Amino acid sequence: MTLPVVHRDVATELFFDATARGELLIRRCADCGAHAAPQSDACPDCRSTEATWVPAAGTATVVSWTVAHSRAGAAETASALLELTEGPWLYAPLHGLRDGERPWAGMPVTVAFERPDGGETLPVFHPAV
Amino acid sequence: MTTTDTARGPVIAGLGITETGKVYGRSAADFAADAVRRAAEDAGLALSDLDGLLTSSGVSTGVGLSLQSQLGLRDLRLLSEMQAYGSTAGGMVQYAAMAVRAGMAEAVACVFADAPLKEKTSTGAAYTGAGLGTHGWAGLTAAAGMMSATPRYAVAARRHMDTFGTTSEQLAHIAVAQRAWAGMNPRAQFRDPITVEDHQASRLIAEPLHLLDCCLVSNGGVAVIVTTAERAAHLRRPPVHVLGWAQAHPGYPMHRGSDFGLVSGAAQAGPEALKMAGVGIDDVDVAELYDCYTFTVLLTLEDYGFCAKGEGGAFAASGALAPGGSLPVNTGGGQLSSYYMWGMTPLSEAVIQARGEAGERQVPRHDVVLVSGNGGCFDHHSTLVLSPHPHA
Repeated sequence: MTLPVVHRDVATELFFDATARGELLIRRCADCGAHAAPQSDACPDCRSTEATWVPAAGTATVVSWTVAHSRAGAAETASALLELTEGPWLYAPLHGLRDGERPWAGMPVTVAFERPDGGETLPVFHPAV
Repeated sequence: MTTTDTARGPVIAGLGITETGKVYGRSAADFAADAVRRAAEDAGLALSDLDGLLTSSGVSTGVGLSLQSQLGLRDLRLLSEMQAYGSTAGGMVQYAAMAVRAGMAEAVACVFADAPLKEKTSTGAAYTGAGLGTHGWAGLTAAAGMMSATPRYAVAARRHMDTFGTTSEQLAHIAVAQRAWAGMNPRAQFRDPITVEDHQASRLIAEPLHLLDCCLVSNGGVAVIVTTAERAAHLRRPPVHVLGWAQAHPGYPMHRGSDFGLVSGAAQAGPEALKMAGVGIDDVDVAELYDCYTFTVLLTLEDYGFCAKGEGGAFAASGALAPGGSLPVNTGGGQLSSYYMWGMTPLSEAVIQARGEAGERQVPRHDVVLVSGNGGCFDHHSTLVLSPHPHA
């Protein structure tokens, strides 16, 4: 299943510049050092709004997941709610599952990047090898 | 409680429900105006008696401040459009209740209407993509597969299953029980009985959710009139007293430690609303719970404390929710089977049951009726405690 096209806006410029060079950026609080999801405006620990962008390790575990089905009943795309090693959560496509294979809570995954024609480079995750 | 407190205690004195379902050729604003007229008529009030109007739009939008001029309402003392998704109906009643208690207004119409269904367009198409764009963070989330509510609720339900052992068959019992109730509701869009096997055989939408875990989609409108007990005493219909209320908006962090999918705002708002009403969870006779999905009902049951955390599946599978069960839930069929009017679906059925006017499906005891609203994906919650009596 091909990825949909996503366009950048002002808030996501640096994030998509980074995915284009193969980096997944997250937020790191300038006050307490806690990591936060890329779209976070405030630190989940201390509520500070001072944060810098840092590259994530790109490793994560599955918190939960779903597989969308077509009207005809075929399993189409797997999506997961992931917990990055640094702590932030991220929804991401899950690629590289074998036919009929399903993710599981705690499953280790690693990031890869795909760029659909006409859109930004997107993070996708694969089962860790 | 002082005499003044009792006299100005908030009540629901009117209920208006338009035709609902595949009703085409009318805008959401038209349904809203129709619903307000019906609610005022039901209460025995003229439109000119209304001095407050609160509006709420669905996905088709357009139910806003202009409804005042559409209805020809003059000199309103309260007017606002409200939005907290599926928790809005409860929120409107709460705002109206506080306004009438404070003397800011005497009779407030609260209305929701929507018209997402178009002829020759599928129900799914009416909602897919609603609210999510293709740009920025929203685009990134949509590209991750979260382009509608269903996959997000699927992820929430899966987490509950993994954590507590909840099963799809247990969710099926919620759909089956509500369909049994719907069979006794002339307004219900789906009235043919279903079985757990039917649920399991219905197509998967987003694992683990089957088609029969999902609500239907309706065009239509529902309104209620909130006024004081004192005023309602001279009106046409038996008043339904609003004894307790609360909201909760968890603000789940997208971060390690979040209890998304495991605990909803009902855990906070339920006990607060019951305390305000002066009753406990064991005093609740009937519960009308927001049911965009079967799983929403299961989580709300746990968080209100009808069963222990993690035991919602077993509780549902026990048959407790069905006609004849120990806790009648969604006695009109809910949004899974009757009509999808967001928070107005549980609220309207609660008013009908509290009045004792539910006909064949009327529950014998209806002294305490608990109503929930839920918006986003467990992001917004409202609770109301209703009763035909002025005190618990």
